[in-house]
Amino acid sequence: MIRTTRRKFLVASAVMAATALSLSVMPAQALSPRSEVGVTLSTIKLGITLPMTGSASYGYNQLPGAMKAYFDYVNANGGVNGRKISLVVKNDGYLPKQAIQNTQDLIAKDKVLAVIGALGTANNKAVASAVNLGRRGIPSLFINTGFSGFNDRKAYPTSSTILPSYIMEAKLMSKFVKETYPGKKVCLLYQDDDFGDDALVGFDKSHGNLDFAVKVAYPSLSQGVAGVPDSWITKFKAGGCEVQVVFGVASATLYTVLAAAKAQYAPKWVLGSVGADIGSINPATVPYIIGATSMSFMPSVVDPKDEYVVKFKEINTTYNAGAKFNSWALIGMNTAFVAVQALKAAGKNLTRASLLAAIDNSGSKFANAGLVPLNYSKTSNVGFNGYWFGTFNKTGDLVPNDTFTYTPYTTDSGTGDVVKSTYVRPAMPAKGLPN
Amino acid sequence: MRTTSFKSRAFALVSTTALLATLVVASPANAAATDPVCDGKTPVQTCTGTTSDGAAYKMVVPATFNGTVTIWSHGFGGNTTIPGVFAVDSTAQIAPNGPGQSGGSPELVKYLTDKGVAVMGSGFSTQGWNLDEAVKTNAELIGIFKAKFTTTTKVVAWGYSMGGGITQAFAEQHPELISSAAVMNPVDAWGSQSKYFIDLLWLMKTWFDPSIKLTGYAAGAPGDMQMLGDLQKYTAILTALKAGVATGAWPTTSSASGKALQAAGIPSRSALLMIGRMAGISAQSSSFDGVTGPATTAFTAWPLAYAPALATLENIAGVLGYSLLGARDMQNKMGGNSFDNQKSDYSKQLSDEDRTVYNAGLSGNTAIAGMLQTLSPLNPDAPRIKGDAAAIAKSASTMYENTGKIKVPTVMMIGQHDPVEPAGIVQRISDLYEEDFAAEKAAAKKSAQKSGAYMAPARKLQVLWATTPKSWSKFDAAGSPISIAGTPGTGHTNFTTAHYKTLIDTMLSASANGVLPWNGAQLTKVYKAKNLKIDRTTLYPWMKYYTK
Repeated sequence: MIRTTRRKFLVASAVMAATALSLSVMPAQALSPRSEVGVTLSTIKLGITLPMTGSASYGYNQLPGAMKAYFDYVNANGGVNGRKISLVVKNDGYLPKQAIQNTQDLIAKDKVLAVIGALGTANNKAVASAVNLGRRGIPSLFINTGFSGFNDRKAYPTSSTILPSYIMEAKLMSKFVKETYPGKKVCLLYQDDDFGDDALVGFDKSHGNLDFAVKVAYPSLSQGVAGVPDSWITKFKAGGCEVQVVFGVASATLYTVLAAAKAQYAPKWVLGSVGADIGSINPATVPYIIGATSMSFMPSVVDPKDEYVVKFKEINTTYNAGAKFNSWALIGMNTAFVAVQALKAAGKNLTRASLLAAIDNSGSKFANAGLVPLNYSKTSNVGFNGYWFGTFNKTGDLVPNDTFTYTPYTTDSGTGDVVKSTYVRPAMPAKGLPN
Repeated sequence: MRTTSFKSRAFALVSTTALLATLVVASPANAAATDPVCDGKTPVQTCTGTTSDGAAYKMVVPATFNGTVTIWSHGFGGNTTIPGVFAVDSTAQIAPNGPGQSGGSPELVKYLTDKGVAVMGSGFSTQGWNLDEAVKTNAELIGIFKAKFTTTTKVVAWGYSMGGGITQAFAEQHPELISSAAVMNPVDAWGSQSKYFIDLLWLMKTWFDPSIKLTGYAAGAPGDMQMLGDLQKYTAILTALKAGVATGAWPTTSSASGKALQAAGIPSRSALLMIGRMAGISAQSSSFDGVTGPATTAFTAWPLAYAPALATLENIAGVLGYSLLGARDMQNKMGGNSFDNQKSDYSKQLSDEDRTVYNAGLSGNTAIAGMLQTLSPLNPDAPRIKGDAAAIAKSASTMYENTGKIKVPTVMMIGQHDPVEPAGIVQRISDLYEEDFAAEKAAAKKSAQKSGAYMAPARKLQVLWATTPKSWSKFDAAGSPISIAGTPGTGHTNFTTAHYKTLIDTMLSASANGVLPWNGAQLTKVYKAKNLKIDRTTLYPWMKYYTK
């Protein structure tokens, strides 16, 4: 009897659906709410596209493993509101056209609730435009970029970034360099695109106000061309540079450091956060960056007493079989940790809209390992808003000092001051599971 | 998809120019309208005649005629006969060409007549940009058919390329004469289309060969020879650019500005890509997908730095002949040059997304700024085109500009990377229709508040996007790209028979029922046609002529 009734209901539903599709007259109240894409009573499906292979994949290809590890840990402890989280991973090779295709597939074929942790400015600009995420209400959360343009909520209403903006980073660098190396000749290598443009804003008169004796812009991809990094070093040496700021991707930093060693160019290195971690890409480069300055918003991955690092390392050991716990794993796991809080905050009736609203309303309060606050609100798509400075130790890990005492600074993407952060990080929830 | 040696329509065209001996300029016939003369054959009879403007027409009518007739509008044809190169073709055409065909696909005609549908079309009285003339011819032809076949109840208009624009214009101007329309890769309004063509031609001339004439062609045969001379120069540029993709070398014919850019270290491939982005040419083509690289260390660099330039080059080769013929034809018709780029701001034609996504291919922001600087109106080495006032006025006052308004149930079909009629043409119409449809729905809801019953409006536009595979580029063992012809979703009017049949079924269903099919059977049919999709969420950039 139940079956018969249900079959009749299904037939009736199909007829109604067909009628609604083709013309017709239908009472408004017959429309019923539907469940959200990517969500069932027992599951939540998320997706990510990023380079898993190719020259831009180094380090970043460890993010999905760490994210999955944390999701698996949460799933093993009951999931989010009873739902188990899965993550569909797609390799875009850091190619915008492939990122578009992958995102379309994630949405149309894999039917994910949201894209999470996708990488890169160009890829995500292309995706937002071609896939039309904003108009379709599809969230692309915690994008791994610091491009300030994503904070345009009109252009990117459903996107959010997780890194501090590159403008913020350049402002903080300016303060550090001026205070640490007064009177020294400072020079800059930067990527000649949106990434570098943001940096130039952060360094300019009305922001960081840092003057450079020599500035070299490198077009993306040129860093791998034989002889090109040597030509940069020639210019820097000729300019008498004493402090070398590098605002580029990891491969640019790597080739620059190698070319500098070859040319016996030994400035004080100040490396931007994006391209600093070359030691974990190529351990052979560690000797060249010992003592170099860089910055991070996460605690040092080798901090023995940080409760987040300790817990994430423990989860990594159990759920991310064989993977080394490094800065990439820490960022990946932290992103998943933040995502779980967003999913929880969105409530049992989880939808794309409720997920976006949860981040707008509560995102700035999400517990996480970051030593500066998250900046999400109804007017901000930007994640972290500051950094601490440290140096690379003998194992190539960035540390603040011997005692792991951090002094984070914070600022905005405008002309606001750079100040010491007063942020008090929330304690790690019990068992590493958000309430 | 098949792989062949790299060869384009434009290249093939130029190879025959050496055979030129004489030129014959065609002029429209001026015959009186004639009634259809039918052969009376069964099961399908064929009738022929001419309209009052002299257009030859043809009607194919099955014995099982069910009252529905299709009227076909063919694509762009040259208005000048150049022996060995072009011949003015005014023969009546009644259906699209299937893959590799000319003169209309017998299979598609049979597909229609087997359903009891009559098929007709004309060759039009004039070729070239013939939108206004063709709309009048089609209106008259429908009257002739109805007078002969009095059981006619439905007329379905369809066409591709120039004929797509004609069909859209016809549906806008004469919705009372047709019950549905099928518009394939239509030309845009002339203002938009000419900007697309001439931006491309002017930019190439400005950087790569300033000796190209482009405007001010002489009247008659001497002017045709001048245009052909330009075509040879453009082809030489493409050949040189192709040879210089790896090295970055510029054509030896480059302007002083071009040579300065070369001296600044900007490779010619970046300038080529820049031209494509500013004109609005797709950076994916039949051979280059923009995602696949050779199995060497260049497998990331290749899709970012080289493939977009090569795809642009391949697409330029596909549109070059149309661009020059269109520009030449319009100069003849308007008695002068109706295009003017004195106020064009080319920096605004490079979108923010293009600057980012193609940044590596464009060699970075500094190179982009340097290239844009040479296009300044103040640069004497990059003289802008000054239009003839009389020609501009004539163009504005006499030529119909499609509004894109959808007045009858309409199915559109276009390739994602059509180099001649970019997908943005249909995207704009689709976007504008979505606004109209939203307003229609809002009005229906408001009305429901009074009546208590919601009368859902029927969506009157369905777009079938001809799509590419996920990836298609191929490389040989040495890492060199292999040229590929006929990749779905690329090229001009590159539709399969399955695509056409899906379109036909859709337009006939819309005609019979008064509404487009949106049910599961339609979705299944589209899916089974392969490389075809209905997608209202995809976003292609509008033509550069428009600002949103």
